[in-house]
Amino acid sequence: MVELRQVRHRYEGRLVLDLEQFSVPRTGALTVVGHNGSGKSTLLRLLALLEAPTEGQVVFNGAVVPRRAPASLRRRVTLVEQRPILFRGTVRQNLEYGLRIRDVAQTAANGIIGDVVEQLGLQALLGRRRHELSDGEVQRVAVARALALRPDVLLLDEPASSADRAAAGALYRALAAERAARPLAVCIATHQLEDAYRWGDDIRALAEGRLSPVTPENLFRVDLPAGDGVKSVRVGNINIAVMTDRTGPVVLAVPPTDIFVSREPLPSSARNVLSGRVTGMAIEHRGAGVHVRADVGGVELVAAVTAEAARDLGLSPGNAVVFSFKATAVQVF
Amino acid sequence: MDFLAEGFRRALTLLASGDAEIYGIALLTLKVAIVATVIACATGLPLGYFLATRRFWGRRAALTVVNTALAFPTVVVGLLLYGLLSRRGPLGDLGWLYTWQAIVVGDVLLALPLAAALSAAAIQGVDPRVRRTAETLGAGPLRTAWTVAREARFALAAVMTAAFGQVVAEIGAAMIVGGNIRGSTRTLTTAVALFTSQGDFGMALALGFVLLTMALVINVALQVLQGRGGG
Repeated sequence: MVELRQVRHRYEGRLVLDLEQFSVPRTGALTVVGHNGSGKSTLLRLLALLEAPTEGQVVFNGAVVPRRAPASLRRRVTLVEQRPILFRGTVRQNLEYGLRIRDVAQTAANGIIGDVVEQLGLQALLGRRRHELSDGEVQRVAVARALALRPDVLLLDEPASSADRAAAGALYRALAAERAARPLAVCIATHQLEDAYRWGDDIRALAEGRLSPVTPENLFRVDLPAGDGVKSVRVGNINIAVMTDRTGPVVLAVPPTDIFVSREPLPSSARNVLSGRVTGMAIEHRGAGVHVRADVGGVELVAAVTAEAARDLGLSPGNAVVFSFKATAVQVF
Repeated sequence: MDFLAEGFRRALTLLASGDAEIYGIALLTLKVAIVATVIACATGLPLGYFLATRRFWGRRAALTVVNTALAFPTVVVGLLLYGLLSRRGPLGDLGWLYTWQAIVVGDVLLALPLAAALSAAAIQGVDPRVRRTAETLGAGPLRTAWTVAREARFALAAVMTAAFGQVVAEIGAAMIVGGNIRGSTRTLTTAVALFTSQGDFGMALALGFVLLTMALVINVALQVLQGRGGG
């Protein structure tokens, strides 16, 4: 839907974003993880067509966006900033702002506002002004203000950073409901891996303005059986042992750094010992680490090792390899 | 002291008697000040917004020019304008020299840099997220500017007050291009200067009172306007 091609973006000469290609698919829910200063917010501003990249192109729906994006195009993408700001006036006036710009009739606007207010639980706040709201409430109003516009692409910068868990849950449920109701591309930037794992169909990691190969991969959506302690769940053709009290639908994450890589099975405490073949190797940006991708029983796993270890093990694509990790290393979201 | 007290007494008598000359001068001053303020703000505020929000080549130089123009001596502006408007000047055909329109032009030239520089500072004081948020919610350039201006409404009202204050109190340009012609281009400031030099201290003081009252009324009116609506 929105795509960045060969984008290099600078602020006062300093390179803050360097992306060969980055796209938000039409109906995808993409999460971008990264620390503060990793370039997430800049990335979102470029995707929101608020700024033009210093070099490279922004492509929207297949067409290259001019350097000064026309308002008609910008109206299809909406960004909610990390610390959103409300305009002067009441919450209701804020929710009406974008609808007025789009010449939505008052009756229709009331209906739309009623929907988003209900989705995000804002009924009690409609008559309040910005100084009467908490940070978390401002954030929810800002998301509601964006959702009310029914954009094709919704970009959210740390949408749950000021909200308590219950409010964050309501916010994400509203997003899920919206996505279920109509085609909507969502891109969320967050530093909270938990949010990323829970809400992203796809996760990208950003570090120092570049896409990092240290993507939090190895994610599996599973249904956990009832019971306590170590559980075994089927993923593809393999079983993964996981230590959790949780039951029902969850996302399992195996951090690439928690996987031991060997050429043969080794005696250890690891409950998960999976044999397979190396399918690819990627050298980290700074060259100190290597990401080893392997097919283990029809499931692709990524392990992070040092360049030295990869050399010592003589790893290369096609090699037989064993990935081991403890049941307690598996994170449940 | 008798001289001062006598001056006050005469001023009050003149004001109370509804002296036609005083009110004629006051009305002309008000007309000139309002027209000049409206023109200066209508062009200066958008210019200030532009300088505050756009990054372009020469922006720093433009800001320096505007800021320098703030300190432009009014008599020099009057002098230059005189050169332009005099019969042999490039704008002589307009026939504006010694008319109230010439005073308006001089006042606009003086108030415009003030309106531009102060409104640029006011707009720069608005949280940059306001502009970005308006844009991401689909606002075009005009709506975005309006939204940002609304956030800076107190500062912008102060800019308008300052511009009005500048034109209403200005004397140098008004004297040179207006000519201080009785019943035609005599404004409160030029009249005060004239009556003082003629020794009619009471008349000068009465006109001074009118000038002060005018400034007070305009300020109060703007404050009332600002007070409408909350945050």
